[in-house]
Amino acid sequence: MTNKGTSFYERLEARGVSRRDFLKFCGATATMLGLSSSAAPMIGAKIAGAAEDGGLYPALWLHGGACTGCTESIAQATYPNVADIVLDFLNLVGQETIQMSAGVQTLEGNEMFAEEHAGKYILIIEGTVITGLDGNMLRVGGHPFIEELEHFAERAAVVIALGSCAVDGGWVVAYPNPAKGTGVSAFLKSKGVATPVVNLPGCPMNPEELTSVVVEALLLTDRDADGVPNLGPIVARLDSLGRPKWLYGSTIHDNCPRRGHFENGEFVYEFGSEEEALGYCLYPVGCKGPQTYRRCPMIRWNNSVSWCVDSGGPCIGCANWNWVDQNAPFRGRFRRVGAGVLGRGGIDPAVGAAAIGGIAGAALLAHGFGMKAAHRIGKNATLKTEECKEYDAKHAKKGGAV
Amino acid sequence: MAENLVLDPVTRIEGHLRVEAVVENGKITDAWATGTLYRGVETVLQGRRPEDAFYVTQRICGVCPTSHGHASSMAVESAYGIKIPNGARLVRNIYECAENLHSHILWFYILAALDYVNPAKALTANISDTIDLAKAAGTGISDFAAVQERVLALVQSGDMSVFSNGWWGIDPVAHPEEADELYNPDMPAELHLIGVAHYLEALEMQAEAARVMALLGGKFPHGMTSVAGGTAWVPDSTKLDDVLYRVKRVAAWVDGTMIPDVLAIAPFYTAALEFGGGCGKFLSFGLFNDADLDMNSRYFPAGYIDVDNGLKVDTVDTSKIKEYVKHAWYTSPSGLHPQHGETQAISSWNDSTFDLDGQYTWAKAPRYDEKPAEVGPLSRMLVGYLSAGADPAIKGIIDFALGELGVDDPTLLVSLLGRVAARVLETKLIADQTIAYIVELVEAVKTGEAKTFAEYDSHDGEGAGFWEAPRGALAHFVNVKNGRIENYNVVTPSTWDMSPRDDNGVRGPLEEALVGTPIDDIERPIMAARVARSFDP
Repeated sequence: MTNKGTSFYERLEARGVSRRDFLKFCGATATMLGLSSSAAPMIGAKIAGAAEDGGLYPALWLHGGACTGCTESIAQATYPNVADIVLDFLNLVGQETIQMSAGVQTLEGNEMFAEEHAGKYILIIEGTVITGLDGNMLRVGGHPFIEELEHFAERAAVVIALGSCAVDGGWVVAYPNPAKGTGVSAFLKSKGVATPVVNLPGCPMNPEELTSVVVEALLLTDRDADGVPNLGPIVARLDSLGRPKWLYGSTIHDNCPRRGHFENGEFVYEFGSEEEALGYCLYPVGCKGPQTYRRCPMIRWNNSVSWCVDSGGPCIGCANWNWVDQNAPFRGRFRRVGAGVLGRGGIDPAVGAAAIGGIAGAALLAHGFGMKAAHRIGKNATLKTEECKEYDAKHAKKGGAV
Repeated sequence: MAENLVLDPVTRIEGHLRVEAVVENGKITDAWATGTLYRGVETVLQGRRPEDAFYVTQRICGVCPTSHGHASSMAVESAYGIKIPNGARLVRNIYECAENLHSHILWFYILAALDYVNPAKALTANISDTIDLAKAAGTGISDFAAVQERVLALVQSGDMSVFSNGWWGIDPVAHPEEADELYNPDMPAELHLIGVAHYLEALEMQAEAARVMALLGGKFPHGMTSVAGGTAWVPDSTKLDDVLYRVKRVAAWVDGTMIPDVLAIAPFYTAALEFGGGCGKFLSFGLFNDADLDMNSRYFPAGYIDVDNGLKVDTVDTSKIKEYVKHAWYTSPSGLHPQHGETQAISSWNDSTFDLDGQYTWAKAPRYDEKPAEVGPLSRMLVGYLSAGADPAIKGIIDFALGELGVDDPTLLVSLLGRVAARVLETKLIADQTIAYIVELVEAVKTGEAKTFAEYDSHDGEGAGFWEAPRGALAHFVNVKNGRIENYNVVTPSTWDMSPRDDNGVRGPLEEALVGTPIDDIERPIMAARVARSFDP
């Protein structure tokens, strides 16, 4: 398998992407990475260079206990289809939802691929690692999926845990976790597999997040003569939870376009209300934006046409660890913050001390105190609309920036 | 001589499916469908707030989360006695329409088409002949030359990416005849090229339909707004404009490309009218609510057909639904009505746990009136075709398609090709219907009749949401006590269609549809894959 013989731009054009589209895409990616958009040509050169070496990562994509939502999400990447193209330049061989082959041919194809690219390929995992009944609660090709996962992870250069389910088990691990789900990094650690794991939590994952990791890998990764990547620099840019720092460094609330209404004490107390039509803050109907680290307000969804809060849906914190246990009830105005919640949260021991639960909890505590200091909420505040409304109306004027 | 066929994983579907079959004299004589994944959503929901099920149950399926969300909210509304306002009804109809457009386009072109269209053969197409053929077929003219170059570049690069190791043979370019055996050798290369070109366009069109859902629900998959009580999204003119523009774009493409493509390709696969029919019993809970929110007056009405009793529709009696588990990996009682269903997985696994004579799947076996029933577009279209009160457009488009294929007996639709055609034809009806609902909503906004959320203050009750996902009848059942879920149960379309044998040993619809399916090459069982994928699992 070689890409030699045609230039990167010729191949892009063969796939219907102009050089201009490609540079626009690189500019957007630069912004995403927190670089100046003047870095676009550098990113472009780096991708083109890697492609012309025949050096883009070979990738294998496997489905654990998944709803296929992350694949669906990728299928919505349409900025002008270039994200697809870059993913395509991953030389993506196995992808059960779209691949041509089936059955034995799929299994054999994956095996041949892993042998050919041992030590060099990206393994992308979508879905929960199901360990119930010794892994037999998810079988693929007649064997427990966990065997397949371990087998292909051992020989991968890096594993990308795509979406909350792969990161920590997602909703599947919510109490009582009947399928005994877990995340990829916790599972691999338990098996002594040392391959680094990049975590991209969110339910589903946003295609821009995966794209930015791929580009980041290209920017920061050198390869030896055999094509084995040196992943040190990219691992250094992960936080203690294995997440890319540039994607999970601020909360939804930090960047929310409705934040001004929060500051003004202008809230939505009921769905479908006049306040919603005015685009007020969704905090009273359960928005988990203040405790959720993700860049949704900037990246948005489905070619940027909208995002949850923009449509009137409060954030449910789907990028948090064990997000269902941590955030439900989703319409609840305040959630319990304490060791109990954090302790039950299935926090991944593989990724160090400062667990997300801790960060989010601390942030919300600070936030809650701020709210209290601003007299927006009382100690015994409830979900009852009228009471909240009355309270906020009475105290709004005293409120300032939290 | 009997041979065993195993297809695992069945790819290009949502989820994890295994198919096993016995092949004798070139035909399948017995078959088993295995759902190989258990996650336990119903158990996770116990004790939580009923409103939270809307968010969690969408994660059952990343392709049809909207339908799960709707069925969940409807179940809670039914338990709490909430009647959603007219504005919410219209918003949900538009939302659900968009999901069907998205799902059907994705299914036909991205998931199923590669079993009928061979990209390797497209390389030998003559471009001007392709344009002539497209004109004659009345389908979209694409830049066929560019598409052909694109496929060539892909093949020559050696990077076959997701097309690697397919059933085209070892080297589809040097030895196209190997792949031809799997497809119809008489189908011209030009038609294969048209199919590939529109496969690429379909990627954009399914995304465009999904953007409509994102406008109404924040994102797709896993939207945020169709909560119990109505919808959190408040219609505004800017977004409605955007929605209408996108839906019209998709509708024009369905009319001008998808329908003519299928009518052009279908004549090469009429052999598929002879098998793949299944159990001959069809169930629909009805799709798209009318003002009275009654399942019998929906655009696609609810109904049940048992072809053995003639082509007539019976009213659905939801008390006749039961779930059997003798052949599934559960220890909970068999034959319960899902309102009081139980889901207790087996507690240990050994070498004999997977046993085709015993338990062999995680799917329960739902039965209607003690019999298996097929669900999905074929059921919806047949019920609509035979229901006197339904939109005449349903009967019209089926009769038109039968005429195009030169057949006059609607029972021939009970086949592999009929199931494929029903899904595609339904796409056009839904596209037209989406526009009608948007226009109705715009009028309601103008007159101030577009309230989207009903307040409620309830804490107890039993309820069910009967609805349709793109792939068939879907029901959520909830029992609530003191504002907490006491029991939650979901019966998905895939458990109907991919169901195992029931306690009487009667095969499920896919298993039955596989029986009689011709298998020429047991190593490349493309017919079995076509039949499995025709259910859109």
